[in-house]
Amino acid sequence: METHAVYKHRWLPWILLLPTFVILLVFLYYPTLETFRLSLYRVAFLGLRKTFVGLANYRELLTNPTYHQVFLNTAVFSALVVFFSMAIGLFLSVLANQKIGGRRFYRLLLIWPYALSPAVAGAIFLFLFNPQAGIVNYFLQAFFKVQPDWLGQPTLAVGVLVAAAVWKNVGYNVVFYIAGLQNLPGDVLEAALIDGATPWQRFWKVTFPLLSPMTFFLFVMNTIYAFFDTFPFVDLLTQGGPNGATNILIFSIYRDGFRFLKTGVAAAESVVLFVGVVLLTILQFRLGERRVHYGG
Amino acid sequence: MKRFILVLGLAALAVPAFAAKKVEITFWHAFGGGRTAFIKRMVDDFNYTHPGIEVKVEYKGSYRDTLNAAILAARQGSAPHIVQIFEVGSQLALDSGIFVPIEDYVPADLKFQLADYIKPVANYYRIKGKFNSIPWNSSNPILYYNKDIFKKAGLDPENPPKTFGEVMKACEKIEATKAAPKCITWPLHSWFVEQWIAEQGALLANHENGRAARATDVYIDSEAMRRIVKWWKEMYDKGYYAYSGKPEDWDGANQIFVSQQAAMLITSTSDVTFHQNAAFENGYHLGTGFLPIPDGVERNGTVVGGASLWLTKGHPDAEMKAALTFLLWFTNTENMVRWHKGTGYFPVLNTSVKVLDWEHWFTRNPAYKAAFDQLLQSKANRATQGALLGPFPEIRTIIENMIQAVFQGKPIDQALKEADAQADKALKDYNASVGQ
Repeated sequence: METHAVYKHRWLPWILLLPTFVILLVFLYYPTLETFRLSLYRVAFLGLRKTFVGLANYRELLTNPTYHQVFLNTAVFSALVVFFSMAIGLFLSVLANQKIGGRRFYRLLLIWPYALSPAVAGAIFLFLFNPQAGIVNYFLQAFFKVQPDWLGQPTLAVGVLVAAAVWKNVGYNVVFYIAGLQNLPGDVLEAALIDGATPWQRFWKVTFPLLSPMTFFLFVMNTIYAFFDTFPFVDLLTQGGPNGATNILIFSIYRDGFRFLKTGVAAAESVVLFVGVVLLTILQFRLGERRVHYGG
Repeated sequence: MKRFILVLGLAALAVPAFAAKKVEITFWHAFGGGRTAFIKRMVDDFNYTHPGIEVKVEYKGSYRDTLNAAILAARQGSAPHIVQIFEVGSQLALDSGIFVPIEDYVPADLKFQLADYIKPVANYYRIKGKFNSIPWNSSNPILYYNKDIFKKAGLDPENPPKTFGEVMKACEKIEATKAAPKCITWPLHSWFVEQWIAEQGALLANHENGRAARATDVYIDSEAMRRIVKWWKEMYDKGYYAYSGKPEDWDGANQIFVSQQAAMLITSTSDVTFHQNAAFENGYHLGTGFLPIPDGVERNGTVVGGASLWLTKGHPDAEMKAALTFLLWFTNTENMVRWHKGTGYFPVLNTSVKVLDWEHWFTRNPAYKAAFDQLLQSKANRATQGALLGPFPEIRTIIENMIQAVFQGKPIDQALKEADAQADKALKDYNASVGQ
């Protein structure tokens, strides 16, 4: 079959694609290659001075305990964010999918946080969790006589950050899960109902497996969110503190690159993040292929 | 007739187009909010009174953003003429090689202005005997306190604590009388640590704070530092010290003090105007005092904080001259008076101080007085000159992490030793990156 018949000339499709290529080249491929190159240099003043140092920047990442902590923080933080935003997202979507009065209103409210800019979301959490002047501690003090130092204790600070990141992203998962739930084949669920399956069984044996393509897609998207889009929360809420407990890779890259002007090290961190996310995505697709059920 | 007037009018409009082209100067600074507008008004005044020069002023974000933007612009050959750079960026600015030592370019007839800077300011910005930049906004930390809470706690509202020990005693009283939920707050910022080191006459880096030669060793594991951290930790453990939990959170500390959750606040003198207004709006009486210092040491004084104005190199002579004309006008006697009244930053010229004295400004506005006296009483030595360190931003983070680690229970000796090693490494890496 002739698939090129639409175009009279061979070069026409290339010309039509040219703008995309130019944009990809200038804004994506060139910066990526430049990052790889810079990671091999010791750079001063954002590139005013450069010396080739080979893999020294990577050695620094592997040997300096500060970066070990950064990698560990990133793994823990991302895992928590991905798990909770998807679990809560799914739970809320199932609730919002019930045929109850005002469900459109509930759905709207659930999606709302997603529409906020992360900077605003971060500022809201900063106000909420200020240990002396925040509303959370105001109520805790009134009812339980405690005033936790939310952002000053490592575990609590990670908790607040995860809560903020999850709260912001749950709406995104709700949108997709509700769409997924509404497209489920009704006959399968009906058959399960007639066979006497309990609601619990119906959810775990029928609904959840049928949602697996959506879950898989959201898993990839949430992972990317947790790695790349959580920067504003760290920047606004903790600055990586207390004592580096919330210093995740994306924040560390920014801080090393633009505050400490260690461009070479920051580039090496970017490469690590890049390779990490690529590997993780490949792994997800490998595992996903086997588990995901695309039938309908 | 009407047509004639129209032609005349158009001709008048067209004339400036044939006139000599104005010299355009760009000026980047890091002051947002109301200060952006304040600076713009001053620049407009300059442009109005200097028809041959057009200064374009731009707010470029934080101090760091401004410095980064200037370096990137210089790389592309389009550097702004004048850049505001924060005091700890001084060594970085020197090493970047994109600026000229300004003193070499000041015209002979304006040299007198360089001799007019108040001593502590000249002391800081004269690097190896020469002004590399024009001092502009200068500040240092002072104690702000709530006189009403002091009265409630039975403390003398006209006599704020002056030493670490006195602060501790005042806190005991405030807690015992429940006059306020917390006693004192200040941002968890390395800046205060640096000030307390200087107050003790101690150095933060070798080679005389990096002033005699490039620093190669940071002194974090020192007796002076131990005194500070020990007291701070005790204040934290007893629940006297409060902060928002986030490092370098100036607003968070202000919020705690303004909402009267704490009786005292240590922060920059540049916030005097802000706190006077806040006290008025929230209905309490504000007092100011010197920065409390460790007990049993002689008060050496504070390091000048703030920023100065740097001139980039590689511009035609006419532009360099115009930029200097603007710089020296912008920081002249009358403009420094205006700047001080509008912000609380120090009037950095002796003549400006005379003008303010003549106006009885400090007697009419006592809150500004503590700030200024503290600066004037600072001794001129290597300690109060402040350290010159290339990777200062990173060293600040190392110090702040160290303090949070101590709060969480890390033994002070171990924390200081580890932070010292980290800071030395940061300095070594930096020095290597600039080829030293």
